[in-house]
Amino acid sequence: MKGLEFWKHVSIGRYVESDSMVHRMSPSTKYLWLLAAVLPASVSRSAIVVAAVTLLPLILAPLAGVRIRFLLRGVLPVLPFVALAAAIQLLIAWPNDASPVLARVGPVSVTAREALAVLTMGLRFIAIMTAIGLFTSVTSEGDTARGVEDLFSPLSSLGFPARPLALMIAVAFRFIPIIAGEFESVVKAQAARGADFGAGARGPIRKAKAYLPLLVPVTIRALERAEALAEAMEARCYGTGPATRYVDTAGGAADVVARIVAMLWILAALAGPALAASVGGS
Amino acid sequence: MERSNVRKIVVAGALGAVSAVMAVTPLGYLPWFGGASLTIMHIPVIIAAVLEGPLAGTAVGLVFGVTSLVRAATAPVGPLDPLFANPIVSVLPRLFIAIAAWAAFKLFRGKASPVAAGFAGAVGSLVNTALVLSALGLVGAEQLSGLFGVEPGALPAALAALALSNGLVEAAAAAVFTSSVVSAWKGIESARGKARLSEEER
Repeated sequence: MKGLEFWKHVSIGRYVESDSMVHRMSPSTKYLWLLAAVLPASVSRSAIVVAAVTLLPLILAPLAGVRIRFLLRGVLPVLPFVALAAAIQLLIAWPNDASPVLARVGPVSVTAREALAVLTMGLRFIAIMTAIGLFTSVTSEGDTARGVEDLFSPLSSLGFPARPLALMIAVAFRFIPIIAGEFESVVKAQAARGADFGAGARGPIRKAKAYLPLLVPVTIRALERAEALAEAMEARCYGTGPATRYVDTAGGAADVVARIVAMLWILAALAGPALAASVGGS
Repeated sequence: MERSNVRKIVVAGALGAVSAVMAVTPLGYLPWFGGASLTIMHIPVIIAAVLEGPLAGTAVGLVFGVTSLVRAATAPVGPLDPLFANPIVSVLPRLFIAIAAWAAFKLFRGKASPVAAGFAGAVGSLVNTALVLSALGLVGAEQLSGLFGVEPGALPAALAALALSNGLVEAAAAAVFTSSVVSAWKGIESARGKARLSEEER
C-alpha cells in the first residue's frame, strides 16, 4: 500500500516563512518581479539578457533569506536532460555556420555559435525555474490569491472579474488538501473491494478502466462540497453587496519603487538589445 | 436550478483543486502501452466548462496550467518538464480547452446529455493536445529535436505522430470520463429536483 499516501506528496511550491525585505513586499510587486524574470527569459533572443535574468533570482534570494543552494537544488533533476539536449545539438552541425571553431574531437566540431546557443538554452531553463521557485518560497497561498486580485483590479472597471477569480483561486487552495484526502479514501475503499491500481501485470485497458470508479466519485464529492459551500456563502449574503477585505495589501513607498524598477527592467531587457544593435550599426 | 455567480466561482474552485491534485500526484496519468502514459488532468477543465460555462472552465484551465507550470519548475521529473516551465507552453494552451469543450457541448442544445458531454470531452482533449504540442514546437524546437533525436526539419512530423498516437486515445479517455461524471452529477441533481418541495408546488 505504498502508493496510497498522496497526501504527503501534495505540495505546490514551498513557502518559507520569514520576515525579510522581500517577504514584506506586497503580492502584486512580487508578481511584477516574477514577470520581470520569466518574460525576458522566455522570449529574449539576446544571450546577455538571458544571463542577466539568470542572475536576478540569485541576487534576490539572499535578500529574501532563501538559500541559493535551496533554489538550485530544484534544478538538479533536469540537468541530465538539458545536458542530453545540449549534446545532441552540438552533434548536429548547423548549416551556414561561419563562426570560429572552438574545439574539434574527431568528426565533431564545436563552433562559437553552437556553444552560445547551448549556453543560452541552459540558462533560460535555470532562470525560469529559479524565478518561479523563489516566487513560491516568498509568497504565501493567501497572498497568491490576493495578488491576482490586485494585479487585475485595474481591469475590473472594464468588466474583468478580478475578485471572483481571486476567490476561485482561494477556494482551490483550500480544497486541495480536502481533494487529496478524498482521493486517498476512495483509492483505499476501491482497493478494499479488490481494485488494482498498482503495477499489476494486467492489460493497460483494464488498468485504465480501474481509474473510472476513482475519478467519478472524487469529482462528484468535490461538486457536492462546492454546492454546500456555495449555499453557506449565499446564506451569509456573499455577492449581494460590496465586499471588503481583511488584509490590506496596497503596499508602501518601497513597493512603489520596487514596481517602477521592475517595469524599467522589463523594458530594458526587451528593448535593450534592439537599441544597442541600432546604435552599434549606425 | 438557477445558477448563481457564487456557485459558479465555488464549483470552479473545487474542480480547479481536483485538477491541481492530479497535476502534482501520479493520479493525473493513466498507464498505457509501452510505458507511455496518458494525461487525464485536463478533464476537470472540460467538466467545469460543461457544467458551469466557458468562463468557469477557463478559470479551471488557468489553475491547471499554473499548477503544471509550478510543478515543472519546482519538482521536475521528466525530460519535457523544463519546457513546461515556460507559461507559453503550460498556461496559454490550457485557456482554450474550456471554450472549445463548451462550444462542442452547445452544438447538441442540451439534447442527449451523456453523448454531448462525451463529445465535449473529446473535443476539449484534442484541443489540449494540439495546442500544447504546437506551443512545444514553437518554443522548444531546438531542444525537442535533440530529445527525439530527429533533425529540426522532421520535428513537425514527430509531433504529429505523437498527437495521433497519444492524442486520440486521450480524447477517447476524456470522452468516457467526462460523460460518466456529467451524467452521474446530472442524475443526482435531477433526483434532488424531484424532492418533496417541488412536488408540493404542483
